[in-house]
Amino acid sequence: MRVTHLSYVVLLGAGLGLLSAHLAIAGRPVVGRVQIGPWDAWPKGGGRDIDPYLRAHLARGVHLPLGAGEGLELIADRDSEGRGLDGRCRYLVRGATPTTRGWTLGVTDGAGEPFRLPLDRTGFSHAEILRDESGAMAILASVTAEPGNWLPLPASGGFQFRLRLYDTPISSQAGELRPDVLPAIRRLDCR
Amino acid sequence: MSAIHDSAAPESGAPPVPGPARWRPLRKTGFGAGLARLVLLTLAGLVLAGIVHIVAVLMIPVLSERDATSAYLGLGVGGKAELVSGPGAATGLPAPLEADNSAVMAVCGYDLTSGPMRVVARAGALPLGLTLHRRGGGVIYAITDRAAIRGVVEFLVMTEAQLDERVARDEEGQTSRELRIVSDTAQGLIVARVLAPLPSDRGDAEALATGVACGLAD
Repeated sequence: MRVTHLSYVVLLGAGLGLLSAHLAIAGRPVVGRVQIGPWDAWPKGGGRDIDPYLRAHLARGVHLPLGAGEGLELIADRDSEGRGLDGRCRYLVRGATPTTRGWTLGVTDGAGEPFRLPLDRTGFSHAEILRDESGAMAILASVTAEPGNWLPLPASGGFQFRLRLYDTPISSQAGELRPDVLPAIRRLDCR
Repeated sequence: MSAIHDSAAPESGAPPVPGPARWRPLRKTGFGAGLARLVLLTLAGLVLAGIVHIVAVLMIPVLSERDATSAYLGLGVGGKAELVSGPGAATGLPAPLEADNSAVMAVCGYDLTSGPMRVVARAGALPLGLTLHRRGGGVIYAITDRAAIRGVVEFLVMTEAQLDERVARDEEGQTSRELRIVSDTAQGLIVARVLAPLPSDRGDAEALATGVACGLAD
């Protein structure tokens, strides 16, 4: 009887503990996340005082995150109105970027890897885009070709925008940013 | 009254007859005792689950053999950082995950057991960032080429004990000009990341990243 009780406690404890730990670090953890409009950032991920959940998540693969003084990575998997990003829709990423020495904006899958599309264009950098008279960035992401700064999307399914700001003074105070200092992601229409 | 009557009943383990008239305290019966024990055991299991959860999350970075440090620690033994992404990368190495396609990364592993490491990087036209990733996760230091003095970023990586030794060797009253960074682990990675805004910048970026020298300080 005692053995049954003990094995019940051990199995429950080990099973639930390991399963919950696995689920907590399978993706980027909610703990330590900073939301700025549609963008998510983990500013502590590039410092000494990294959150244990993010540290465990990063240690499960070959990750070399940006250092806190080196830059900041922002990830968006939803538009400015909170709807999930979908390859069947057209999106306009428009707005200013914070003071930075350089930025790149890419389209990736949920794991952060670029899609294998027929056209070899997975992102733009600050030097590659055409700007209007206001100087702000305006990037149109859709499956079919568009005039201007066109970023091809996968034909369907979810995707992420990844905005990386290099050598930016905001990386240490990302939690205090207002959404209007970052580009907005507007859904134009859907097929 | 009914409670007294029930407690006198033999503990046959038969389920109690439902209904308000036959209600009895659960603990007094075999079924009730079993349920109470199950609740207690489940609570104990949940406490254990909490402990296992915390220990697992803390131990994964220590025990992981798939992390960046395990993959790249052997790079840079020749005194120069080596590319880990792009066509020029050393073969047989896993590619870094969630990496920016427009950035070039070169890595140098460090092992401080044989002495402090000196890292020297030349600033170029492209943005260069140097970061120190310790074993087990966490960026312990980050510097960019904006901090370059006469076009050179130079710093030393050492353990706490090596820092004490170096401070003791410093001449009295003289301030040291070295930038000394303490690593709390003996092993880790020095990562040079250069942004190549245009595809044509890639060659320059790779030259800048692989130009980072890392060797023993003394």
